[in-house]
Amino acid sequence: MCSDITGKPVPGAAPGSSELNFAPAVPIPDFLTGEIQSKLAYVDEHILAARVKEDQIILKIASAASLTPERQAELIEKVQRVVLSMAKGAFKPKVQVLEDHLDRRVPFRFDPMPELLASSQISQEANGLFVLGPLLTRLIAYFESQFIALADSFQAVPYRFPTLIPARYLERVNYFRAFPHSLTFATHLREDLQVIDEFAQHAACEHSELQTPPNSFAPIQALLSPAVCYHLYFALADQPLPRGQVVATAVGNCFRYEAINLTSLERLWNFTMREVIFVGAKEFVLENREIARQRMSQVFERIGLAYRVESANDPFFIGEFRKQAAFQSAFQLKFEIRARLPFKESTLAVGSYNYHQDFFGRSLNITLPDGSPAHTGCVAFGLERIAFAFVAQYGLDPANWPAEVREMGA
Amino acid sequence: MSTSETSILSQRVQSLLAEAIQVPGEMVTPDLSFGDLPQWDSLGHMEVMLRLEEEFGVAIDADTIAQLISIPEICRFLEDNGYVQ
Repeated sequence: MCSDITGKPVPGAAPGSSELNFAPAVPIPDFLTGEIQSKLAYVDEHILAARVKEDQIILKIASAASLTPERQAELIEKVQRVVLSMAKGAFKPKVQVLEDHLDRRVPFRFDPMPELLASSQISQEANGLFVLGPLLTRLIAYFESQFIALADSFQAVPYRFPTLIPARYLERVNYFRAFPHSLTFATHLREDLQVIDEFAQHAACEHSELQTPPNSFAPIQALLSPAVCYHLYFALADQPLPRGQVVATAVGNCFRYEAINLTSLERLWNFTMREVIFVGAKEFVLENREIARQRMSQVFERIGLAYRVESANDPFFIGEFRKQAAFQSAFQLKFEIRARLPFKESTLAVGSYNYHQDFFGRSLNITLPDGSPAHTGCVAFGLERIAFAFVAQYGLDPANWPAEVREMGA
Repeated sequence: MSTSETSILSQRVQSLLAEAIQVPGEMVTPDLSFGDLPQWDSLGHMEVMLRLEEEFGVAIDADTIAQLISIPEICRFLEDNGYVQ
């Protein structure tokens, strides 16, 4: 099944790591290499990095994993499970581009991260956790003003949602099956004096990990919320939709654990999302999603953002990926706003236009006046990401920013 | 294709669909559409597509996935793609 396997320390590998190089069980089509590469982050705790090509997989393994032949075989078997599950019989997605402004001229070409760090405009607390200083905070406030204006144009009603979300909510919308890899759990100490006393005496951090006495924690009732709009759907659950339609908006902290994929401000564990959410009949949701896209197109033109809007799929986990991703693609349910990152000639998703059909209406029993399940959709913007993409295109000096952004106080 | 052949094809598709979405055969009527049963959801639909590819040897692309949303549509697609009894 596998050829060209090496499991020894290699000159190019990072100190204290080995490289494992082998062929995938089936050829990996181009459109899946990125998806599979990102999933390999979750295959084994000792994988430091992964690279996937059509006919080759390269893993960088921590030396602590002591790469014996048995260990190699185990790692390769786990990787091949991912490859087979995602690539065998995969449906080729239909890529539809709704807008293409990637060639818009932008003045900056460098990775802004080193300068952001050096000038203390950001500081890293841990993997995927960053503090943003005044420059990015003001920039985000500017983008927020644009997104709130979009919400106002629909007379969206404002909501504030908790950062935690009950586990039973996520279970009801199949989240545990679709995205188990990115969950972040919340818990607390058991309500027991001895447990709390022992924790207080012995809890200590070893490196970045909290060491605690065994059985300290209560069963998990809540998680850190992975999205904003779910809270609205639950608030509307098990009842007829008021006046047959709702447009709402909210901003909130979201959490998606992405293991070794957590890099720079491009991919955060804890990020902020502004959403405008539509609930109602199919036509209502689809029309408003399209109107929102057109309105944002004008905003991005004023800002001078280089970006493209193209069809996409959510990062479903391995078991559901092949079917769910193909379904989303076939029915054109998700379009991402992908901003250009000139320093790496790549793009970054900074927002998305989503249509869920009647999935939430059915799952949560949200009904239209005729008794049929409501349809839902949302427009979502990642605030840290859009700020990062902007400084990647325009740099950190506001003097080089478009007047619109500069003059709004950002 | 004659009416009886169409009917035989429809029955075969109904049976495939019932297995794919794991419901009793009598729940799958000849005019059933995507979403009529909770089991014919996104995952169920893709299971139907995979089984159609396997059983009828047809290639289904992304455009087609979005069109095959009822039993009559599926039958029409199979007929157009040279399915013969």
